[in-house]
Amino acid sequence: MTQGNDQDPYIALHGLQKGYRMGGEAIPIFSGLDLSIPRGDFVAVMGPSGSGKSTLLNMLAGIDRPDAGTLRIGNSRLDQMGEAARSSWRAHHMGIVFQFYNLLPMLTAAENVELPLLLKPLSRKERRIRVEKVLDLVGLAGREKQYPAMMSGGQQQRVGIARAIVSDPGLLLCDEPTGDLDRTSADEVLEMLRFLNRVLEKTIVMVTHDPQAALYARRTLHLYKGDFVEEKRAA
Amino acid sequence: MSTHTKQTLVMIRANLSSLPRRLAISVSMALSVALVVCVLAGFLAMAKGFETALTGAGSKMVAVVLGGGTNQEAGSDIPAAVIRTLDAMSGDIGVFRDSVGNLVSSREIVVPVDMRQAADGTARTLALRGMDAAGPSIREGITLSAGRFFTPGAREIVVGDRLASEFGLHVGDTVRLGAVDWTVSGHFSARGSTFESEIWADLDAVRSAFDRQGQVQSLRLRLADPASLKLLQDKLATITATPLVALSEADLYAAQSGRTASLIRLFGWPIALLMAIGATAGALNTMMSSVSDRTVEIATVRALGFSRLSAFLGTWVEAIIIASAGAILGLIASWLAFNGWQASTVGANNARMAFQLAVTTDVMLTAGLLGVAVGMLAGAISAIAATRLPLTAALRAKG
Ligand SMILES: Nc1ncnc2c1ncn2[C@@H]1O[C@H](COP(=O)(O)OP(=O)(O)OP(=O)(O)O)[C@@H](O)[C@H]1O
Ligand SMILES: [Mg+2]
Repeated sequence: MTQGNDQDPYIALHGLQKGYRMGGEAIPIFSGLDLSIPRGDFVAVMGPSGSGKSTLLNMLAGIDRPDAGTLRIGNSRLDQMGEAARSSWRAHHMGIVFQFYNLLPMLTAAENVELPLLLKPLSRKERRIRVEKVLDLVGLAGREKQYPAMMSGGQQQRVGIARAIVSDPGLLLCDEPTGDLDRTSADEVLEMLRFLNRVLEKTIVMVTHDPQAALYARRTLHLYKGDFVEEKRAA
Repeated sequence: MSTHTKQTLVMIRANLSSLPRRLAISVSMALSVALVVCVLAGFLAMAKGFETALTGAGSKMVAVVLGGGTNQEAGSDIPAAVIRTLDAMSGDIGVFRDSVGNLVSSREIVVPVDMRQAADGTARTLALRGMDAAGPSIREGITLSAGRFFTPGAREIVVGDRLASEFGLHVGDTVRLGAVDWTVSGHFSARGSTFESEIWADLDAVRSAFDRQGQVQSLRLRLADPASLKLLQDKLATITATPLVALSEADLYAAQSGRTASLIRLFGWPIALLMAIGATAGALNTMMSSVSDRTVEIATVRALGFSRLSAFLGTWVEAIIIASAGAILGLIASWLAFNGWQASTVGANNARMAFQLAVTTDVMLTAGLLGVAVGMLAGAISAIAATRLPLTAALRAKG
């Protein structure tokens, strides 16, 4: 995997356009969005409901595609890639954390975490070792065999984070990772994200409604009417 | 294991372990497949059983001579002069002779008669066969199971075991056939073949009771060996008084069973296929609801990088497994219900003929495959839907 030139921003969006069609009528969400994020950054994206935060994140994740403009992450031009290529890109380059955890209820914590590893040529033993390591990292050692339904929201989200980082991607995308959690659990999860950014040098883009959550990031971008209106840098 | 295999296996596992969430609808899918399999298996078993009954009846060692240009006993007529010519032929004509050099043969006629059933008193048409004394011994596999064979000239009948039990006919009983009374002199077994559905009596007794003086429909001869049929046919060709055909008893019944069995199949397949279409619609409904039930799960693993193929195979295999379970259920049910079940139909000579349904391996294979095909078709359509889930919309929903 080529890592790209360090002079380049890790993530670069130029003139990005995206809209949806509602009954024949085109509703533009972005019409010419520019953004660059350097490697190792931790960006919080805030903005009113419907401003397009999830739409942006989904495009960064290669789940959705821009209508026009360029979207580059590392050396990959996601705007030019087809569905199969993006699917494979997702498997190898990014981890994703969902608001509602999106764990598979019929699989144990360890099996849920193992899912992304099934996309890699790893032996059963190698997979087990990696799963145990990340579950330990998120403070869930010993809970391998528990099912999601037996866990608190905070624990489930930590399983979700473990799943997002188990294949060691450089980029972590989180859509309101604490949106469904109480303050204490939310702080634990955010603490963990900060650790992943500071210690393991993951680049993180996190969508949030919670100003306190945004404080954990290195900087916050505000999305309003299809553009970033304010950019401020936290400590 | 390739990553594709691993993805697919975990998808199948996830699908199957979420089955309890859709238990009722999945069970109904399996049951409708089972029903289709049962119906097809029933018809095929009937056709198979019919063939088995008739194939068992025919021997390659017995030649049947028919006259008047027909291939069936009904409608055949052999003039007495022809039989005399045949008897007079000296030398090898491919036919077994007794110690003094006479042909071992049986002249036969078949007359339809009505007989009342012991159980419900309804009348059924049966075949009464008049034959020479050599008739039973020319045939293969005929054994006396009670009493004795008919006496030449006497109004005595022997009945097949199957008929005897169906009609409650005991040795010594008197039965009215046509305008006269007959005495049951014995029961015979024919290893379950169609002969057991016949009543046998002396040729002259039948002729006089039914006013068929001098008539011969068919002539049965014991062949020296199966290959000597050709020789017999060549010799018969020299007789020009009437067109004669000689065929082996096995071929005679095979031709008859072939026609009826195809008729049963011709009737069974469209019904089974129509039901299969209905079952496919039901299965499609089930599998579509399975896909919508798993929308978030499918979208989640797809977001993690799982391939479209794994989403397809997960759903498809689930459908095939449910359909296979239904097919196995249907096969077990039809084996229990149909195998060995007695049925009867209009067989040779316009008379009732009894046979047993036979759920054989190829019947099970054919019916089972139709059931699995229902699952494969409905599953494939739903599986395509699973690969086309819009991920963004699916991920919006609370998992
Ligand atoms: N699949 C879609 N079809 C039609 N419209 C869509 C679709 N996805 C998003 N939209 C619309 O695009 C706009 C942006 O949606 P998006 O989910 O990105 O907003 P958001 O900022 O994440 O909002 P929230 O804070 O409520 O999560 C909204 O007006 C939404 O209704
Ligand atoms: Mg959103």
